[in-house]
Amino acid sequence: MVNYQFGRGRARLIPYLLLLPGILFYVVIMLGPSIATSVYSFTDASGIKGAAINWVGLQNYREFLFMGQASRDNYAALGRTLIFSFFVTTIQFTFGLLLALLVNQKLKGVNFFRTLFFMPVILGAVIIGLIWSLFLYPLGGPLAKVFALFGMQSEFLGGQPTVAMAWVIFIQIWANLGVTMMIFLAGLQTIPSELYEAARIDGASSWQVFKNVTWPLLTLSVNTNLLLCIIGSLQAWQLFLVLLGYRNGTQVLGYLIFAQGFGQTSGSVTSAFRQGYAAAASIVLFILVLVIGMTVQTILRRREERIMG
Amino acid sequence: MTTTIASKPATEKRVRKPIDWGRVVTYALLIVFAIIYLGPLLMLLNTSLKTLPEFMKNATSPATSFHLKNFADAWNKANFPRYMTNTLLYTISATIIYVIAAVFVAFPIARNYVKGAKFLLTLFVIALFLPVALIPQFQLMLSLGLYNNPLGYVMLFLVNPIGIIILVAYMKTLPKDLDEAAVMDGCGYLRYVIKVVFPLSVPAIATVAVLHAIGIWNELILPTIYLTNKDYYPITRGMIVFQGVYGSNWPTLAAAVLIMTLPMLLIFLLLQRYIVSGLTSGAVKG
Repeated sequence: MVNYQFGRGRARLIPYLLLLPGILFYVVIMLGPSIATSVYSFTDASGIKGAAINWVGLQNYREFLFMGQASRDNYAALGRTLIFSFFVTTIQFTFGLLLALLVNQKLKGVNFFRTLFFMPVILGAVIIGLIWSLFLYPLGGPLAKVFALFGMQSEFLGGQPTVAMAWVIFIQIWANLGVTMMIFLAGLQTIPSELYEAARIDGASSWQVFKNVTWPLLTLSVNTNLLLCIIGSLQAWQLFLVLLGYRNGTQVLGYLIFAQGFGQTSGSVTSAFRQGYAAAASIVLFILVLVIGMTVQTILRRREERIMG
Repeated sequence: MTTTIASKPATEKRVRKPIDWGRVVTYALLIVFAIIYLGPLLMLLNTSLKTLPEFMKNATSPATSFHLKNFADAWNKANFPRYMTNTLLYTISATIIYVIAAVFVAFPIARNYVKGAKFLLTLFVIALFLPVALIPQFQLMLSLGLYNNPLGYVMLFLVNPIGIIILVAYMKTLPKDLDEAAVMDGCGYLRYVIKVVFPLSVPAIATVAVLHAIGIWNELILPTIYLTNKDYYPITRGMIVFQGVYGSNWPTLAAAVLIMTLPMLLIFLLLQRYIVSGLTSGAVKG
């Protein structure tokens, strides 16, 4: 029910007028283009100013999914996206919960630890990329020295694609673990301490307390974190750009879209980019995120209903 | 899957018992994590204080003479003052315009003062799932002549759906009696939002503004796509250029990274509370 008392007649339009710019920005800059991606995916748009844009039907999709080596590379990128997302989600979720449980205690210096683990959220991909490239400096950098202690050697980011991927997964988690931790911490702090005390009096073990009090009462944070981790990691690709560049054997879907649409290293519009093709790839990624996101959401909802009644 | 997730924290819960070694395990784990988080930063700081020959000889040796010249070099060579000014201008102007527009979007939605308020909110919520907007957005900017144009670049940052969601959630907690009292006093809508809603929403506005500003400050993809003129580069793009030129000169590069990081670190330490509440706001409400 609209219950507006500030005026009638023409004055009634004021909130609409003031709301308009914000909605307009959103529709013109984000929502509209986002929806228009599906339209562009059926064209041969090149990104050159003034160049004709032709309707090509399903050609981009056919090429992306079914044509020769390129489509095999695309499936490989899709597989990598899923692997990346799986590892990032499970590890970030687990360690985020662990850290939240650790820093939710009354300890000396606990604020220092919270701040430290949360700090990377303000560092963007560029800074994180450079900081870790230095830390993983293969010629006698800190980690190379630790490896040498055990008689091991590694090229780290410059090594085999699987090794490089593993490091990007690690650094992605390093960068975002603090957010997961803070969301769990916010959840933990809503659990009344009487519940813990009651469980203690009943003689419950630590494991039983966690299983029967903490874990069920954390359901909302668990759901939020899982969804954020999954969706975030499926769409993440900027660390690949700054840490590895567009290297064979390490591309994920998000990076592939950027590389096809805007060139691999820079945004100069001198050469033709395959923006229609990139738009088709965007739609494939969108469907992937949607299907996985919806499935997980449904499972979590059911579980939530079971626990919370 | 549930068991693997749950088994780790189980050991930690022992801390609640009065046995001391539980606490020892907790601290041990925290210190291990602290090393993983501090190590790369300390390496950066240490490297920035060394000379290049020192670094080449032994990358991890502690800096002996504080070679502050790296910072001067980085500042001068990288065209830093220019990039820094650009970033500051982009960040400040876009954040201010965005926040003002966002308040006028969020308040009537929170109060149901416009028709279709629920639908409007849903419109912002679905943004999380939407396909990448990059390509049509690029075509739009190109046809509007806003490609390689600082104004066009700022326009790209006048949107942030999560900020609207945070503001709406917060404004729903403001007492409705205030609106009624204002109406009784004959206060108009615009004046009411400016004089009452803005000041009362400062915590949420600060959260949204800080998050938005951090995003702009760190943005790498959009300047890569939209800005080709070096005079328009923000600091992120500048860093990539600098890395291309001085990639092997880690001491100077490290100094440059530190110069770029320090303002953000300062803001983080001062406004941490707002950043935390912004990034965790979805958690409790679900």
